[in-house]
Amino acid sequence: MEIARARPWLGTLVEMRVDGLAEARAITAIEAAFAEVAAVHRLMSFHDAASDLSRLHRARVGAVVRVDARTWAVLDAACALAEESDGRFDPTIAPRLVERGLLPMPAASRGSASASWRDIELLPRRRVRLRQRAWIDLGGIAKGHAVDRALACLRAAGAATASVNAGGDLARYGIEPERIALRHGDAGDAPVIELGDAAVATSVVATRARAAHVNPRSGRALRARRAVSVLAADCMIADALTKVVLADARVGERVLRRHRATACLRDGERRWRILGAA
Amino acid sequence: MTRPVRSRWILPLGLVAAPAFHAALATQYLSVAEAQRAMFADADAFHALPPVDTALATELGGAGWSPQVFEAGKGGARLGWFIVDRVIGKTELITYALALDATGAVKAIEILDYRETHGSEVRLAAWRKQFVGKTAHDAVELDRDIKGISGATLSTRHVTEGVHRLLQLHERALRVAD
Repeated sequence: MEIARARPWLGTLVEMRVDGLAEARAITAIEAAFAEVAAVHRLMSFHDAASDLSRLHRARVGAVVRVDARTWAVLDAACALAEESDGRFDPTIAPRLVERGLLPMPAASRGSASASWRDIELLPRRRVRLRQRAWIDLGGIAKGHAVDRALACLRAAGAATASVNAGGDLARYGIEPERIALRHGDAGDAPVIELGDAAVATSVVATRARAAHVNPRSGRALRARRAVSVLAADCMIADALTKVVLADARVGERVLRRHRATACLRDGERRWRILGAA
Repeated sequence: MTRPVRSRWILPLGLVAAPAFHAALATQYLSVAEAQRAMFADADAFHALPPVDTALATELGGAGWSPQVFEAGKGGARLGWFIVDRVIGKTELITYALALDATGAVKAIEILDYRETHGSEVRLAAWRKQFVGKTAHDAVELDRDIKGISGATLSTRHVTEGVHRLLQLHERALRVAD
């Protein structure tokens, strides 16, 4: 019997489904998985004053800050993707998002618009140092990481089939593939993905007025009415790669291949094309 | 070791004038009774309280706002409150339950059901085409075959606002009932 639960976390609805476990075990597994999501939410929140990121933002420039192993791992992945994409994904663009009203202004720290991922220094034993004032926003990658960690909990509990969907960032495994509809903005013909043991994440650039996507390299808002879904082995990579492909399809193609991922990109004229490894 | 189950894209083949197929999701996660048991495992009774005073309800949640409030108890002692409320977003209707402990602190939140409303239909033309030549029964299965949607992130701001409203309701009407 399938057991499904949904709770509000990470600013969205997180849904978990488990099949192939007795009800009590399924519920215990789901509780453990939600605890992982809650931990990521708490540690990597941009505006929560107690989060690892806020502690890092408040620290003196050059001071060494010890963070949770999960935060360190996501920062490490974010910096690696920034490097690979030559800055098309950059966890330090928060000052520009704050400026545009897309993120709330943190009260107790200042962020510099000239900072880049190169100013984040990752040291051994879960320590981090900022080389200049920076605001780090892991909004483009932490949700995917939370999904991966939650799914790992369900897998460890022995579920035959399980899925975790955090507002469209979705990872699953199971005996049979499942069909997921991709909603790329307005109503109309939509692609479908048959998802086996994999993850899919979608980013949609809405109208320019409320577009929450900025190209970190140029600082400009991304072209409106485009959307992308990325299929990858894990949801953290899928989540972050959606931003790379939207910022620059050519660079996206290269980074997708590197991660054995593919993307379905919708242009402003409602045409789709597949990018990345076949 | 089994081989991982593979994934693949199914793209629309063109502008096929397929009738709009409702890939909008409607999921029930928990009934009210199931949520009560899940959120207050120790309770042996749930007493439904009378509807919230109309003037207070209108002040907090606007006209027509009527959350269902229950008192959860065990052996006559109060364990806390269990409240069912609905919030309406741009394209969704969410019913959720809030559990408050005896001090009025949030104990748990569960989504009971989630339903997408207008503006969220997608036509799955390519997907339908695979069924050409199959029976009507197969076509009916399409709706059930879509297990999820990946799209622009749904904001749960309305749920957060709803919880704040219920905390005010507790402060103003439930706590002082002692």
